[in-house]
Amino acid sequence: MPKLPKLPAPPMPAALREPPPRPGDPNGKKGPLDEAMEAGITVVDWVDERTSLSGAGRWLMFRKVPKGTNWFYTLGSATMFAFLSQAVTGVFLAMYYRPDPSGGAYESIRYVTNEVFLGQFVRGMHKWGSSVMVILVFLHMGRTFFFGAYKYPRELNWVIGVVLLILTMTMSFTGYLLPFDQRAYWATIVGVNINGTGPLVGPYLSDFLRGGSEFGATTLSRFYAIHMLLVPGLLAALIGAHLYLVAKLGTTAPPWQKAEAPKELREAEV
Amino acid sequence: MADKRLKHKSKYTLDRGIPGAFEGETITRRRFMTGSAHTAGAIAAGAFTLPALGFAVGPILKSTPHRWEPVGSEATFSEVNYVPVVITVTPNIGEAGKSTAYIRKFNPAIDTDAYDKGTPYIAISSRCAHLGCPVRWVDAAERFICPCHGGVYDLLGRRVGGPPVRPLDRFYTRVNGGDVEIGPRFSVNSELRRFSPRDPGEPLDGVGQYLYPSRPGAQKL
Amino acid sequence: MNKQQKEEYLREYALLKAKGKPFFPYAVAKDGAMACVVMVVIIAMSLILGAELGSKANPTTTTYVPRPEWYFFFLFEVLRVIKPPSLVPLATIGVPTLAMILLFLLPFYDRGPERRPERRPIATLTGIAVIGAMAFLTYQGANAGSPTAIETPTPPRILHAGGALLSEYEAGKKAVAQSGCLACHKIGENGNSGPGPNLTKIADRLPRQAIARTLVNPTAPMPSFKNLPPAKFNQIVTFLAQSK
Repeated sequence: MPKLPKLPAPPMPAALREPPPRPGDPNGKKGPLDEAMEAGITVVDWVDERTSLSGAGRWLMFRKVPKGTNWFYTLGSATMFAFLSQAVTGVFLAMYYRPDPSGGAYESIRYVTNEVFLGQFVRGMHKWGSSVMVILVFLHMGRTFFFGAYKYPRELNWVIGVVLLILTMTMSFTGYLLPFDQRAYWATIVGVNINGTGPLVGPYLSDFLRGGSEFGATTLSRFYAIHMLLVPGLLAALIGAHLYLVAKLGTTAPPWQKAEAPKELREAEV
Repeated sequence: MADKRLKHKSKYTLDRGIPGAFEGETITRRRFMTGSAHTAGAIAAGAFTLPALGFAVGPILKSTPHRWEPVGSEATFSEVNYVPVVITVTPNIGEAGKSTAYIRKFNPAIDTDAYDKGTPYIAISSRCAHLGCPVRWVDAAERFICPCHGGVYDLLGRRVGGPPVRPLDRFYTRVNGGDVEIGPRFSVNSELRRFSPRDPGEPLDGVGQYLYPSRPGAQKL
Repeated sequence: MNKQQKEEYLREYALLKAKGKPFFPYAVAKDGAMACVVMVVIIAMSLILGAELGSKANPTTTTYVPRPEWYFFFLFEVLRVIKPPSLVPLATIGVPTLAMILLFLLPFYDRGPERRPERRPIATLTGIAVIGAMAFLTYQGANAGSPTAIETPTPPRILHAGGALLSEYEAGKKAVAQSGCLACHKIGENGNSGPGPNLTKIADRLPRQAIARTLVNPTAPMPSFKNLPPAKFNQIVTFLAQSK
């Protein structure tokens, strides 16, 4: 088989390169202890030989970030972190939740809050985490807007970001109904009716959300399915696309940062 | 220019000198395979998307049968004031499927509207016609008041202030063996003309009834 | 942005990037620190504020005052402020949809090459104005009082007078709240601003007799309160006549 040409991968930082053999070591001979110590490296090598993931990892992690990036640039990753926190706490809440409007939903949330070990804490994290995530989304969007970071060549990433904003608001809207207390119920009624005021399609949209012409037996499970399956799946996929584009196009430099032309170029101009 | 190119291109693959062509063949094999790949993919994806979508949309088209629910004897209600009663909107889900209606005996001095003739009782829904919040009857002011966005309605449920787009919805009523019974809900426009039930926030005056069509499953009484 | 400007930007960015530091560990360290801050905030909020669960959903209620979660307060306030029924679809669907479309298409109509906020005054000022408007609406929505209670404090001169006047004033405050006045009038932070006038300082404009006369013989669409029990009627008049 002819040898295929290989694209050069970005250079590995010196700190991570394999150190040369030390003079005191027995030449080339490796004892079982050495092999045990290198077990991790062996496993990573085995996976890398079959997936070539290390190139992607290096491309993602060791790409250069322009000079001058400041704390404002951590808002995006902080939002993603809040999403991860919501996903994990949400999974544990789902283990207890019953989407049953005739009493099961409220009872299961009451049980989580009052009786489950750390239940109130985990539910509080999920509840307040949603507020924190909404704030972070808006801050991240504000940074992008004021720094003009949505301009060429990052237009598509802005569009994906707006979709992520809408999905985040959808999450907060659908998550609202699930505890099934007074506030949850009436806010949902109002929210569904807001959708219904769109001419022509509105009535059908609110019927679709409720699963019928009135609040019924399946409305709660509909909201539950949207909240924990449909929208999180879309969110995760689009966060992936958002991150890929950030890595591909690079983090923006602050708008006031100006590059100084390299010395040889300046001399050439003179 | 495009014409020129088309002219010397025959529709037969044989004439165009494509390798492996045979007599009468008009579509190249590559094009045929590309088309097959797209079609097979579309059929496979449609096979799970369409039933799932139909399943999700199904309840919209379903029509629910009319139910009549007794709410108390005739002596319970007066001609001058509303009495709140709890009614069932969606059966079998307990508390969550209930609602409140305000009921008053038909009063020829107040209910002068032609559309109300022959109605034994006036039953007004507690769902605000703005966005569905629970309105309360305030006796002293003779007004229905919505606590959310400030809708105010008069004795007949017609809007007197705030953002509601139409009067409060009503229910059909009948008397059966001395008991007042509540039937299906209906919506009214500002002249109290009756329409099949709409959701809150959907006006029924002028072109409103066409912009916000009734649902396909709605049955005529 | 024309082709030359695009190339200029890409060249400039390539230079900046070449001079930068690797994402790992420099940017990741900052991101990690920020993630820790986020988690500390979430955990602190969970521990301090807890996860309250209201009373069970009750669709038959006629006394509950629904209020949304704080991040929908701005929309709630828009719905409260836009009064004419013909504009309701505009408030519920029109404005939010338009805002979303404008947000989606932002990179397609703002195509100038300039990125510094101080050199794009229109964009920067619009952004600040939108944030200010949303903050204002959120504040207003958060402070929207219930239309069935009056939360204005009793003025010190009445507290000082005490006795019959104080009890009459307090009873009148309750009677006004329960008689539906707030549906059309604003008193302090409670009630709706319109169609009736603001009653917070009504006594400055009308003497006691005029207030009583208006309650008995009002101009439409205000209903007459002459059927109220005389004691309750007098309490209402006392409360309004002391509102200055």
